[in-house]
Amino acid sequence: MFIAIRDLTFAKGRFLLMGLVVALVAFLVTILSGTSAGLIKNNISGLIELPATHIAFEYNERPSYRNTMVERYMWEGWEASPGVQALEPMGHTVFNARTQRDEPLEITLWGLRPGSFIEPEVAEGEQLGPKENGVIISRLLADDGVSIGDTITLDRVLTELEVIGILDEERNIGHMPIIYTPLPKWQEATYGPPGGPPPGEKLPDILFDFVSVVALQLEEGVDIAALDDEFETTTLDREKFYAASTGYTEEVMSVGMIQLFLVVVSAVVIGAFFTIWTIQRTKEIGLVKALGASSWYLMKDALGQALILMLISTAIGLGLAILIGKGLIEGTAFPFMFESGMVTSSMILLIASGLIGAAFAIRQINAVDAMIALGREQ
Amino acid sequence: MSLKVSDVSLILGDGAQRVTALDNVSLEARPGELVAVLGPSGAGKSSLLAVCGGLRTPTSGTISINGTEITSVKPAQLTEIRRERIGFVFQQSNLVPSLTALDQLLLLVHLRGKKPNGEDTKRARALLDEVGMSARVDRRPGQLSGGERQRVGIARAFMMSPALLLVDEPTSMLDQNRGKQIVELLSQECHDHSVATLMVTHDHSVLSSADRVVNISDGRLAEAD
Repeated sequence: MFIAIRDLTFAKGRFLLMGLVVALVAFLVTILSGTSAGLIKNNISGLIELPATHIAFEYNERPSYRNTMVERYMWEGWEASPGVQALEPMGHTVFNARTQRDEPLEITLWGLRPGSFIEPEVAEGEQLGPKENGVIISRLLADDGVSIGDTITLDRVLTELEVIGILDEERNIGHMPIIYTPLPKWQEATYGPPGGPPPGEKLPDILFDFVSVVALQLEEGVDIAALDDEFETTTLDREKFYAASTGYTEEVMSVGMIQLFLVVVSAVVIGAFFTIWTIQRTKEIGLVKALGASSWYLMKDALGQALILMLISTAIGLGLAILIGKGLIEGTAFPFMFESGMVTSSMILLIASGLIGAAFAIRQINAVDAMIALGREQ
Repeated sequence: MSLKVSDVSLILGDGAQRVTALDNVSLEARPGELVAVLGPSGAGKSSLLAVCGGLRTPTSGTISINGTEITSVKPAQLTEIRRERIGFVFQQSNLVPSLTALDQLLLLVHLRGKKPNGEDTKRARALLDEVGMSARVDRRPGQLSGGERQRVGIARAFMMSPALLLVDEPTSMLDQNRGKQIVELLSQECHDHSVATLMVTHDHSVLSSADRVVNISDGRLAEAD
């Protein structure tokens, strides 16, 4: 890169301008990566933290948490099958609710058996237990002023829940905070009459034979398709049970599409810059060819120049985005989180696309005739 | 014999556009000999340089440099021959804008796939000193006058100890006085380094520095009187 490095300092104004554009694109891609990771966390943190390898839904070609009902025979069938290490029937219902200060809430009520492997560890208060209407809330609700001992009332069914534990972190699904309650209370709220059973009466037993999904811990090699067939379920692995959350796939695709556009823009901008730069250098390229440089030598030199430009500019854009993202955005209401794997892959994609754009432009070098050095027009 | 051109013809274009740029040209240059090719614009001077420098393949005839025939080799080999055996001094000096005077010379070392070392730098500085540019080694072309650029171009041409030096209108951008000085310098360097030199020019005032002068007209050569 004998000429490339010297060109960078010689034409610093042009390269600075180009570098700024690339840095800006890297900045936007990084911020979007943070937004994407933040949206994912905001949407499905409850699923991400769920210690299950699979989730079984009622049979459906496009299963979703809002439209599934698993019967007792299904989960008991799974439970008795070989290769099932752990299993937990689980309820999932979206409710509008009110705090005891009458503040409206939109929550997802998850029902689970106290002490089960999917029950999260509380940071304050108690785990689910004998208190039949006790609930565990996530940190976000606690930050909004809900505390231990408070009552949360579910609209429509008028079920009253008492906060007994608070998690140290955010647990959401479908952008709504999850409230964990014992399974019978969830079944009562979901399938029972408003206000609960009439005084002195019990709810019919059949209500307690239904849940939404089954959280599973499966060994490798379990014939899931056969068991799904047998128990009329649709079982999804982790990647797919994330996607079953409402809006998750669409959000990831939208943000991914914006990132992709930015990467394409970067490739086009870098390609355009190096096209113009190569045209401006035609005479110089012809001269160096006349002096004995091969086209390959010159292309390597120019590609190295593009790589240096991309690396430095991307690092600047990335650094700036991390500074602003960590300092000003993360921790606010805006869904934002740095996920190193996602940021790294975005940056690699950005640099690779820039190099492809540059390579496309640089191949013009091959066509430059060394005769230019003798004053002939190209 | 450093340069031997035998019955070379170069035909450019097709049909009505067909032009005979060189017509059965034969020429020789010995080591340390400066041969000036004099002719008006369009006479075929640059075509002669192009075929001798491996930038164009002649339609017929042969050219050899230090005994190696360059008219039948592949383009990649021609590039190597240019890099290893031929020095060029171009019109308007033709320097790389981003390189300092010293780097213009070191570039040739790099083109050979070698990282310039202390010895290379010493040689480059010595050559720049020979052409009176030792005080301006760190200047880029934009910071040099036309004459200074041409001096750097001459120093560069000798950097890799070429067997053949091809010089294209070295005085075209200089006033008569400076043009004469540059050609005298070229002649001296060509003798000192024992390099066969072919210089094309239309400038009669510089012919006194040449060892031999040939005229070119309509692509044909004739020994000058």
